[in-house]
Amino acid sequence: MLLEPIVPTVLSLRRIPAADPALLVAYGADPTRHVALGLVTCDQDDALYVALDEATKHAAVDVVFARSFYAGSAHASGRLSGEILGVIAAAEPQAIEDGLAALVACLAHDACFYDADGQRGITMFPHVIGALGAYLSRAAGLPAGEPMAYLVAPPMEATIGFDAALKAASVRAVKLVPPPTETNFACAWLTGIAPGDLASCEAAATAFAAAVVDVAARPRTR
Amino acid sequence: MSGTRALIAALRERLGAADPAPPRVPMPVVPAPPARVYVPRREPARGDAGGARHTTALLAIGHVGTRYATDVVLQFQAELAVAHEAVAAEVPDGWAADHGFLPLSSRVASHREFLLRPDLGRRLAPDSLQRLRDQAERSPDVQIILADGLSATACVDSGPALCAALAAACQQRGLSVGTPVCARFARVWLEDEIGHEVGAKVAVIVLGERPGLGTGDGLSAYLVHGPQIGKTDGDRNMMSNIHERGTPPPQAAERLAALAAAMIEQGTSGVGLDLARVAGEVERGYRPPQVRQRLVEP
Amino acid sequence: MDLSATIRGVRYRFESVKELLGRANPPKSGDDLAGVSARSAIERVAARAVLAGLTLADLRQHPVVPYQDDELTRVVEDSLDEQAYRAVAHLTVGQFREWLLEIGTTGATLRSVAPGLTPEMAAAVCKLMSNLDLMTVGAKCEVVVRANNTLGLPGRLSSRVQPNHPTDDVLGILASMREGLSYGCGDAVIGVNPATDSPASTAAILTAIDEVLRRHQVPTQHCVLSHVTVQLKALELGCPMDLMFQSLGGSEAANRAFGVSVKLLDEAWATMKERGTSRGPNVMYFETGQGSALSSAAHHGADQLTLEARCYGLARRYRPFLVNTVVGFIGPEYLEDGAQITRAGLEDHFMGKLLGLPMGCDACFTYHARMSQDELESLKVLLAAAGCTYLMSLPVGDDIMLNYQSTSFHDIPSLRRLLGKRPTPEFDAWCEARGITRGGEPGPRFGDIGVVT
Repeated sequence: MLLEPIVPTVLSLRRIPAADPALLVAYGADPTRHVALGLVTCDQDDALYVALDEATKHAAVDVVFARSFYAGSAHASGRLSGEILGVIAAAEPQAIEDGLAALVACLAHDACFYDADGQRGITMFPHVIGALGAYLSRAAGLPAGEPMAYLVAPPMEATIGFDAALKAASVRAVKLVPPPTETNFACAWLTGIAPGDLASCEAAATAFAAAVVDVAARPRTR
Repeated sequence: MSGTRALIAALRERLGAADPAPPRVPMPVVPAPPARVYVPRREPARGDAGGARHTTALLAIGHVGTRYATDVVLQFQAELAVAHEAVAAEVPDGWAADHGFLPLSSRVASHREFLLRPDLGRRLAPDSLQRLRDQAERSPDVQIILADGLSATACVDSGPALCAALAAACQQRGLSVGTPVCARFARVWLEDEIGHEVGAKVAVIVLGERPGLGTGDGLSAYLVHGPQIGKTDGDRNMMSNIHERGTPPPQAAERLAALAAAMIEQGTSGVGLDLARVAGEVERGYRPPQVRQRLVEP
Repeated sequence: MDLSATIRGVRYRFESVKELLGRANPPKSGDDLAGVSARSAIERVAARAVLAGLTLADLRQHPVVPYQDDELTRVVEDSLDEQAYRAVAHLTVGQFREWLLEIGTTGATLRSVAPGLTPEMAAAVCKLMSNLDLMTVGAKCEVVVRANNTLGLPGRLSSRVQPNHPTDDVLGILASMREGLSYGCGDAVIGVNPATDSPASTAAILTAIDEVLRRHQVPTQHCVLSHVTVQLKALELGCPMDLMFQSLGGSEAANRAFGVSVKLLDEAWATMKERGTSRGPNVMYFETGQGSALSSAAHHGADQLTLEARCYGLARRYRPFLVNTVVGFIGPEYLEDGAQITRAGLEDHFMGKLLGLPMGCDACFTYHARMSQDELESLKVLLAAAGCTYLMSLPVGDDIMLNYQSTSFHDIPSLRRLLGKRPTPEFDAWCEARGITRGGEPGPRFGDIGVVT
């Protein structure tokens, strides 16, 4: 159904209580601070990026690794691969547990793609983060706690959608990633021109979603 | 938690897509289905070497999805209604006397009690017992008892004719038949008490049998030699399916009289009776292929 | 043993376990006729309260017919699996009910304790259970048996084709059978009740059916439901026989009225193992039904539910392929109306499965019982949902020989579609290959009598 949430699936979820230092280094962790790892694969990469960031707000964990796989979950290397592997690291296994709990809750109830054409033939990710955590704030170059619209859609829909979002509210582009990406979507991160302007981020995301639905319904117009 | 879910739900509402029902499919063109008519004796179905004509089972009626066609449903319901009506029917007050029977009743007081208490249906009510003692002829060779059993309809419709034919057949063999009686709310074993009271050599009870689908007109007859309370089913001989599609009443009367005569001659009944000695007379006749009646007129 | 309970200040006392079992029974006209039922609704609950406090060991020690008086009691007692019995003997009937209902009590667990249960235990716990309780536990019992077919696997619903004929006209019988097969019915058995109980007609019917089944390679089994002595004589005539049938009663005296004994049944089983024509190992078929013992005055003052359970206690000695309760056949003096027939069907299925039998049900009524066609259809759905192994199937459910109403050729595929069930795997493959079904849905030759010639 149109605009129904498409809840992401956690395909695998494992812990390493005391990881080998070589592995820690290879996956971007710091052996002097990190001991335990939490590893997740998921069938929606952007939902997991948001969920990983969410974990950093609830536990003393760092997101040390998060990479989308080529061509998305429909072309995965195995049934547990999905389209992303995310790794959080911490000094204590308990912090990993707390972080994973927040991450799983975020995937189950918050961050997700939506059906943009009523048949799941076109999907989009018009997510608004109320307050950035340590991971995405560093990636975006914004202070932690700032709001941000995290917008993803297929190439044509996304391009029309980004334009609509930028014009709909007083927001600015933090990052615009034209297609192709690893999963062949396009992505934009927008934040308020004034710091802390959540309402503008929401208005931009809504305009983006409406534009994507419109392109999906009317792919050709003059 | 972010507010994204609520945000998108609001957008869905605004776009008029909040109705959770799936989109309407194009209006179908609905042609009237072909007539699937219940035909009692139908032409052989494809690949059927005429087998369906050897049975009254409802075969080759087709199907609608996995269910019955409407016409079959109506026919079926009519057959069920006929059966239920036959079970629920009662012999009208005064009917027995009007048709020349001495009216008797078992100890059963109501139709429901009749169904639930077979023990009461096997014994005479005190006033009926007195009437039998006062008015019935003593010591006949054969005591004929008509009874409602599980179909008063069959009892009333074809009972008198069968009883008259049976009496005539007995008399033709030189057997006396005594006073004809008709018992209400009666079970088979009631013949033991009645036969014993009048001192009959053989008691025959003719009663409406449990109806089948679409039928309520069948009679059964049970015969016992030396009737008295305590006789069991092994002491009896019986004939069922007495109706036009089974054994027609005139033939049934002849065979029942032959059985009664054999019992008197051999001095026993039931498992002790040597049927081989009367085989020619009581053997079941040829039954032609059956036809089911259409109850709902087209 | 103190058998009493107090409700609202009134003390209800019961003389014996047997009396208690009768008073605790849900209303049945047959128990009223026998004079063993509760005299009020409150007394019934009082009896159940007392029963709930008895242990399963108490029930083993108090069979409703004493050991020395009855060979059925001896069969059950002498062959009880002591290890299985010890696993549950300490439970009260109330605790036993709760244990049965626990999610963690699986079909495999129930199968392992079944040989340690006596019929009286199954009957006792049955009296404490509601209809949905009976379905919940019945559905998790797994009893899988094999003859030519594998019956009782999860997700399967099988059926007996019952092509009876008032004069045993073989062409008429075959016509009904062929039509039944074309509706995907008959994977449990092709079973004919003969009008004439003679070895010659039994052999003639079996031979005719066998020829058609072999020619079309139908993976099922056949049976003619004449008396066991008649079937033994028919075997001597050299006819094929996949399953051997007998009606059972709940006491030695009731079986005497049926003309059978443990000795005779042992002999029949031994003969079938040697001369039966199905692959096996399960080769016997039994029918039962509440009220049969009372109808031959062989009930020993016990209630009809407990006597029914005792039939199953005897049946399991013979590792049968089929057991079914002919639930509404015996008449309203035993089960008066739709509610009583429905209850009895679910009870019998539950007790049979609990005791480890492949339980089917002839969901039916006679035309003098107070049950409607709609009520009967509801019962079929309840039984199928409760995992009943098989139901009967006849043309529009009408038995033209025995004059009663049962399940139809159309009902079986309807129930299978409704509940997502399939026939036995072997028969399923046959239906798919013949075009009777396609992917489990009615196929191009569904309902076409010509599919089997």
